[in-house]
Amino acid sequence: MNWVLNSATALVVASASMAAADGPVKIAINEWTGQALSAHIAGSVFKEMGLEVEYVTAGAVPQFAAFADGSLHVNPETWSNNLGDIFPKAVEAGDIVITGNLGLEPKEGWFYPPYMEEQCPGLPDYKALYDCAQAFAAADTFPKGRMIAYPADWGTRTTDLVAAIDLPFQSVAGGSEGAMVAEMKAAVSAQQPMIMMFWQPHWVHAEIDLNIVEWDRYSADCESGPQSKGDACGFAQAEVQKIASKGFKADYPAAYKVYEKMSLNNDVQNALIAKVDNDGMSVEDAVAGWMAENEGTWKAWIN
Amino acid sequence: MTRAQPLIWLGLSALALALFLSAGPLAKFPDSWVLSPTDSMNDAMNGFVAVVGPLFKALGWLLEWPVAAAQMLLQALPWAVTASILILLGYIASGWKLAVFTALSLFYMAVIGYWSESMNTLAIVLISVPMAVGTGFGFGVLGFYSDRARKIIMPMLDLLQTIPAFAYLLPILILFGFGTTVGLVASVMYAFPPMVRNTILGLRAVPEEIIEAGMMSGTTPRQLFWKVRLPAAQRQMLLGVNQTTMAALSMVIIASIIGGTNDIGWEVLQTMRKAQFGESLLAGFVIALIAMALDRISHGFATKTREIEPTGPNIWKVSALIVAAVAILSLVVPGLRVWPETWIWNPAPAMNDALEYVVINYREWIEAIKNSAFFFVMLPIKIGLSNAVSPFTWGFALTPILKAVYAVIIAVPALWALRKGHVTAASLIVLWGVVSYIGLTNMPWLPLYLILVFSAYVTSGRGLAIGAALGLGFLLIAGVWPESVLSLYLCGVAVMVAFTLGTLLGIWASENQTVSYIIRPIMDTLQTMPLFVILIPFVMVFKIGEFTALLAIIAYSIVPAIRYTEHGLRNLPDAVLEAAQTVGCSRWQLLTKVKLPLALPAIMLGLNQTIIYGIGMLVIAALVGTNGLGQQIYIGLGDGDFGVGMTAGIGMAVLAMIADRMTQAVSRRRQEQLGLRFDGV
Repeated sequence: MNWVLNSATALVVASASMAAADGPVKIAINEWTGQALSAHIAGSVFKEMGLEVEYVTAGAVPQFAAFADGSLHVNPETWSNNLGDIFPKAVEAGDIVITGNLGLEPKEGWFYPPYMEEQCPGLPDYKALYDCAQAFAAADTFPKGRMIAYPADWGTRTTDLVAAIDLPFQSVAGGSEGAMVAEMKAAVSAQQPMIMMFWQPHWVHAEIDLNIVEWDRYSADCESGPQSKGDACGFAQAEVQKIASKGFKADYPAAYKVYEKMSLNNDVQNALIAKVDNDGMSVEDAVAGWMAENEGTWKAWIN
Repeated sequence: MTRAQPLIWLGLSALALALFLSAGPLAKFPDSWVLSPTDSMNDAMNGFVAVVGPLFKALGWLLEWPVAAAQMLLQALPWAVTASILILLGYIASGWKLAVFTALSLFYMAVIGYWSESMNTLAIVLISVPMAVGTGFGFGVLGFYSDRARKIIMPMLDLLQTIPAFAYLLPILILFGFGTTVGLVASVMYAFPPMVRNTILGLRAVPEEIIEAGMMSGTTPRQLFWKVRLPAAQRQMLLGVNQTTMAALSMVIIASIIGGTNDIGWEVLQTMRKAQFGESLLAGFVIALIAMALDRISHGFATKTREIEPTGPNIWKVSALIVAAVAILSLVVPGLRVWPETWIWNPAPAMNDALEYVVINYREWIEAIKNSAFFFVMLPIKIGLSNAVSPFTWGFALTPILKAVYAVIIAVPALWALRKGHVTAASLIVLWGVVSYIGLTNMPWLPLYLILVFSAYVTSGRGLAIGAALGLGFLLIAGVWPESVLSLYLCGVAVMVAFTLGTLLGIWASENQTVSYIIRPIMDTLQTMPLFVILIPFVMVFKIGEFTALLAIIAYSIVPAIRYTEHGLRNLPDAVLEAAQTVGCSRWQLLTKVKLPLALPAIMLGLNQTIIYGIGMLVIAALVGTNGLGQQIYIGLGDGDFGVGMTAGIGMAVLAMIADRMTQAVSRRRQEQLGLRFDGV
């Protein structure tokens, strides 16, 4: 049995040393366009500094296992509302380092297509929804309005809020991002009623016109306090963070400093997303174009 | 016991009705009785990882090399060289038809611009399929020779096939670490069970006469196995290879969820997230094409009769020369090395427009279909006639008078059956009436639990009854009973539809060669095309919700029902069929009196697989907004919570296994009545 353990240890050591410095900076690519753009901007800047870069496709939750063991180095766009269990543990243990905010300002809430304002006058104020639930009703929720919530595994915030402010709506779990977008596209193309929990920045806003429901007040810790009709603040807003593996700072000190300074905003990303998802440009070309036009911006990160 | 059976059914009906009307701790399982096992599961997992983690990490690191090597090779080769190798392989395996098919498939991958991603997928599959076939064959042979081993292997197979891959994705990730290994291990684990089943079934079905003939000619045990049993069982085992290939490819997409692959599965996930119907269908079709080509080529080589080579040039040498020529040519012509971007053609926008046209212009029809299925079939089964009938759904309310009418509608056939002397049938009609009135999800837990356990007892005896009692008890105690009942409802409806339609189609295909030719590629596509892809158009047409999920489950689980029925009907002993024909059977008599009873074991294996596929699909169906056990698995995966996902996974396995054992017992009893030899797995 001993030799098994020994050879196993030898292999682990070998694989660990494989992952150590000198190799390319490994940047995670997640499934959505916005993240791919942020990742390629980071990668292009690293390349300008003379570093080698490798892009690795990784699922949004499983990637944290890779960060924790050092087989991925950076992900400039990590959403604080989609982290799971591995991430906080790894941050606590020091295996993953949060390097700061990317600068994107996410907005979450209930979105609806503009034509619903004719069928439900008073929107975007949420109080209008009390009187025109029927305009949003469907066979499976009648007489209540049909509200698409986030998939069940993203939590129950919409359902909780509907109950708290006593809206005559029934929330239907969206199942997955793809299903939600599919429903949105179908509803808008057929001009059918629709209201859905969604977020921004997201590429769909480059394609479909959507308005967001407005609340009485806004506060950062909105969902921790009670809400009621006449005193509602909707949802707490997420943060978008840059993360790095534990060894990144020591192995690539110059890159780490640049990475700390890197920052983007909604406008930059929305414009690039529109180029990729609407005009069919590749992520690489879109980022190359941005790099050429905004030399001042990224050069400032390097110096 | 048989005499008491009607009384027990009636008693359970009365209990269900009484508890439904009263409500109390026996109607809804009290929360305080729930002992969630998730925390202890997580602790056990953490402990396990702490001890053996490094060993698995090392193993994972080792396993990454074959895939990486295959990927590097396939990426480095000019497309023209890879293509000519595969096309020639197709030609050698089974002739020019397969060569044309392979050529068209490869051409498709290149034209829509997915060559490099396709090669990464091919690399993973080229490693995982042989691993799965080898593993499956080994366990199959072990299970054939040793009864004791089989007693352990069979439930393991059920667990592997019914615990959804999503549930063990997380433990594999924790154990092996991030990388392509996770996908590789997951697809081998998911893909080898059909090979085991078919190996055992094939070896067992070898007629005694052949074995005796072999022994008389003085074979050693080793020769008896390799030269006699194995060739005789080859057909069945090839079905296993086919199913294993398909299963391995259907896991490609799941492997991509972890990441690190940059293959076609990742492409599908990306387009899925964007709900790009056309793009995801195009990418998904690549997976189906790879599956079909690999399956046909391996099938061709395996069934190839070893004829004496005709005089003339050796085909292998000629092929090698052609490949070498193409390789040299591609050094000169850059267009043969990397597929030029100008040759790429993208029909996706047109496909998206077509779907949009359907969604806009057939709105009323779509709504009508969906609502009638929903109001008249799904809702009554789910929440019972007592809740489903309302002015909004059926156009009238369920008044006391109508309730009385319903009672009479149930009582009349029951009394009629009683007069005819079918006491058990009468009691079952009453039970059915009560359950449809209450609805599955509204059934008080105690009577539903007892009904399921007692059905297990009636169909297959005390052993299964105890197993069912324990398994269902686990679901109650673990606190996933409501989710389990939801899954039972969704899956039950889907399996009923899929099995009925599938068996009919299978019979038709076995009688009609044209039908068989048409549906075979459709089935292969359905089984290997990642079903996420089908979900998008379904959602766009039918909206988020249970109806869409139901259609998706049916589309997936109908395949084994068709396949096994056709296979069973086509592979009957010729002697029996000839005998029947000499006696003067009409075609109809031949089918109903001879073929169907003889094919029953295969058809039942089909039902068994339909149920297992249906339950497996519940997880995918959760992506379009169903609740139940499927959703729990995502909650587990999303939170990185091993215990939650595993509890739900085991829940699905429990349901699947109970259903499986019951169908097998019924089939066995019917065969014994017909005086047939039992040889199901």
